[in-house]
Amino acid sequence: MLFNSYIFLFGFLPVVLAGFYVLGARRRDWALLWLTAVSLVFYAWWRPINVALIAPSILINYCLARALQHFGEARPVAAKAVLCSGIAFNLCFLGYFKYLGFLENVANDLFGAEFVVTQLILPLGISFITFQKIAFLVDVQAGRVTNFSFREYALFVLFFPQLVAGPIVHYREMMPQFEAVRCRFDAEDFAVGLSLFFFGLAKKLVLADPLSRLVSPLFAAAGRGQPPTLTDAWIAALGFTLQIYFDFSGYSDMALGLARFFGIKLPVNFNSPLKAASMIDFWLRWHVSLTRFLTGYLYNPIVLNLTRRRMAAGKPVFGGRNTTMSSFGMLLAGPTILTMLVSGIWHGAGYTYILWGLLHGVLLSINHAWRVLRPRFWPDTKTYARIMPPVGYVLTFSAVVFAMAMFRAPTAASAVAVWKGMLGLNGIALPQALFSRLGPVADFLSAMGVHGVWSSGTLFRDSVLRISALLIVTLGFPNTLQLLARYEPAIGVRPAKQEPRLVRLLRWSPGVGWAVGLAVVAMAGILSLGELSEFLYWQF
Amino acid sequence: MDQARRFIWVWVVTMLLLGAAVAVCNLLVDPYDVFGSPRIAGFNRLKPEAKNHSMLAKTYQIERIRPETVMIGSSRVHIGIDADDPAWPATMGIVYNYAIPGGYDASANLLTLREAIATGRVKNAVVFLDFQNFLVPAGPNDGGDEDTRRMLVGPSGAPNPDRARQVASDMFLALFTMGALVDSGATIAAQGGGTVLDLRPNGSSTDADFVNAARSDGMYDIFAQKDEFEAARAEQFAKATRGRTGPTPNLDVVAGMIALCRAHGVALTLVISPSHADALELYWRNGLWDRIEQFKTDLAALVSKDGGGAVTLWDFMGYDRETTEPVPPAGDRRSGTHWFWESTHFKKAYGHILLGRLFGGSTEAVGARLTAENVTERNSAVRLARQAMICGGTVRVLTSLANAPPDGCAR
Repeated sequence: MLFNSYIFLFGFLPVVLAGFYVLGARRRDWALLWLTAVSLVFYAWWRPINVALIAPSILINYCLARALQHFGEARPVAAKAVLCSGIAFNLCFLGYFKYLGFLENVANDLFGAEFVVTQLILPLGISFITFQKIAFLVDVQAGRVTNFSFREYALFVLFFPQLVAGPIVHYREMMPQFEAVRCRFDAEDFAVGLSLFFFGLAKKLVLADPLSRLVSPLFAAAGRGQPPTLTDAWIAALGFTLQIYFDFSGYSDMALGLARFFGIKLPVNFNSPLKAASMIDFWLRWHVSLTRFLTGYLYNPIVLNLTRRRMAAGKPVFGGRNTTMSSFGMLLAGPTILTMLVSGIWHGAGYTYILWGLLHGVLLSINHAWRVLRPRFWPDTKTYARIMPPVGYVLTFSAVVFAMAMFRAPTAASAVAVWKGMLGLNGIALPQALFSRLGPVADFLSAMGVHGVWSSGTLFRDSVLRISALLIVTLGFPNTLQLLARYEPAIGVRPAKQEPRLVRLLRWSPGVGWAVGLAVVAMAGILSLGELSEFLYWQF
Repeated sequence: MDQARRFIWVWVVTMLLLGAAVAVCNLLVDPYDVFGSPRIAGFNRLKPEAKNHSMLAKTYQIERIRPETVMIGSSRVHIGIDADDPAWPATMGIVYNYAIPGGYDASANLLTLREAIATGRVKNAVVFLDFQNFLVPAGPNDGGDEDTRRMLVGPSGAPNPDRARQVASDMFLALFTMGALVDSGATIAAQGGGTVLDLRPNGSSTDADFVNAARSDGMYDIFAQKDEFEAARAEQFAKATRGRTGPTPNLDVVAGMIALCRAHGVALTLVISPSHADALELYWRNGLWDRIEQFKTDLAALVSKDGGGAVTLWDFMGYDRETTEPVPPAGDRRSGTHWFWESTHFKKAYGHILLGRLFGGSTEAVGARLTAENVTERNSAVRLARQAMICGGTVRVLTSLANAPPDGCAR
């Protein structure tokens, strides 16, 4: 079931909320049980077989967690073996459903094998659920989670607001909330949830989806071997960047809002990443819960392990101005690229996702190298702080947009064609209808190598206008977290000490003005439900 | 009441008011003519936004108008033939233009013809066939789309069980979607003046888009753009038909139309749509002329075999004064054309001539009645006309191939 569907909005959600509040008024545990049950219905709606696939996996993970708890510190070797088995089981589960077909493809491509590529039903949100279960096992083994029952564990995994597209949550940040939640109607939580949900719905349906109609034909044409011109390539890359931006931002807001209806706060997952002034900053704002997971459960253990080994071998480790090339490569660039490779693979079973992950790994490594090297040749921090942020912003934005072309393109070759187009290597063209209206400017442009093509001038104009407007919204306006900061829209989000003027001006409050404004936004979203579309991030 | 509770109440009430306002607005403006709301000058008389929802709009229009004569075809007929043209004989009664733009599949013609006949009063059907739909076999059509579900009857002629649900869905979406609201706004805004596209109640469309494009870009650009599109299409057809032999594909659709009309006592007129010499030349130079001649021959044989005297066949795909009219030069935005907007879409003036030939007894040298007996002669006559006009240089085509000497010319 999609959040942006009539059945969810006008059927499922009202029934779930009514049941939750009615049951909660009698017994809390009934309300929580109801929440688990409806989450299963939500999960099964699209394909009932999904439940049959995921339920045994939940049960096995619960048993493994119990075993880990049982062995505890008394039998660390056995506990470690259970943990490794659990991680292996979850990765195999994910690998079988998500990557088997891709691996067969790779074997066919690389070794000329003749595997018939397996087409499996991919359980919804399997990547999110798998990471969440792995994190749970690690936390149990580390002693960070001690008390849990099957009922609590099932609710933790299945809680429908974050079930299929994140954020990836930790048991220790969710269960204390479920234990404390009153399971009663709370007007303030409801008003905040309503606002977050409908802001998200409008972002998704009003802002993100129309971009798909501009972007898809351009990438499809590149996939057919038609090299895009400069303007088409930029429209494709920028358009897709904004599409996935508002798609993911909208989904994240909806997830926060839905959880809030039940009095639950989810962690931040999306925080204006296109305002980032560096690649490191970008990944602290884009898919925050994934970054947190990969950092905590992959990157940090690798770096820690390698650092210990290097120290044991008497080799220099990573640290400030004395960092050597080898320590930087071994302890920072290598693990970063590996982590981002995993991130790329996690996002999708395809070469383009792998290359996108590697690209981001390299970009992050360059960013880290800059941080290490910059003080050596640019020690003046005042001028650096004045000059670098805007430069860093432009560089980051450009890098992200370029990389997005790889993420979206149907093949790596077509992504390269889009990149060439963005650099002007496929020629520069404008729709003839526009070109012929430019008068003497057209002559100048012709002399510069720009030519007219028989493409739609109206579509070109609409694309430019839409992308420009969305860039202004993206870069110039505060995000929903900032607007609702006084009501802690996500775990730990509080108002900044120095709120920008626009935030102070637009700050959300449960007043009449915002109620009417939200109704307009919500109506725009609901009216846009007619054209159903899937979340881009759902497929991961 | 605390602040948050008041917020929720205000939100709920505002939502209800907004929802009602949107529905009333869409109902009154009726941008797709789905509800048949009164057309009021200066408010909603013109329906420019129905252009992207032709099947939706026309299916409800035809059910309201219940015509005695129906036109079936593609955008050529949608734009090029006026259901109110004085050339229609009065005996043909109420005429409705049920041609659907954008259809590159002959089976759409059968679908709309069946729907038209199901409205109950149709006595005459004029079906315009685009030769491009008979060059390669059509892909599978499972008939499961919303256009099929909306129809009064199914393929067997029995009432369509899916219709009620689809109609409810259509009504809901026409009342409660952002697209409908935006189109309502655009409809009201378009009434202010200028040349505005309109889907009229009789199903015919004004040609405002072409008029505006001609005014701003000139006829040359419109022809050149269409020729480029048609050139690519002809090339694809050439690739797809290379080495292919056997009868003309998709004629089963025509056979279905003949059977349908005979079963309901409807007089059927089949018309092979005209194209400008530019388009004809593109298909000629892509080696498709033999296929086109075979299409005409097979069609004539089919009509002779299945028509039972109730079906007539006309061919307007040839070289005459109208289809060879010259295109104004590049950069000329003032000169117009008389008969064609571009190489496949003809103007209503040509539509008038065509109707006169079909039903008015006109003897103008346009098109020809086609029978199994005269089809070979007609094919030869068209070749000779090309020889004279294209090879002879009396007509210059504009296409991208224009600079190349015409091929297949007898010396």
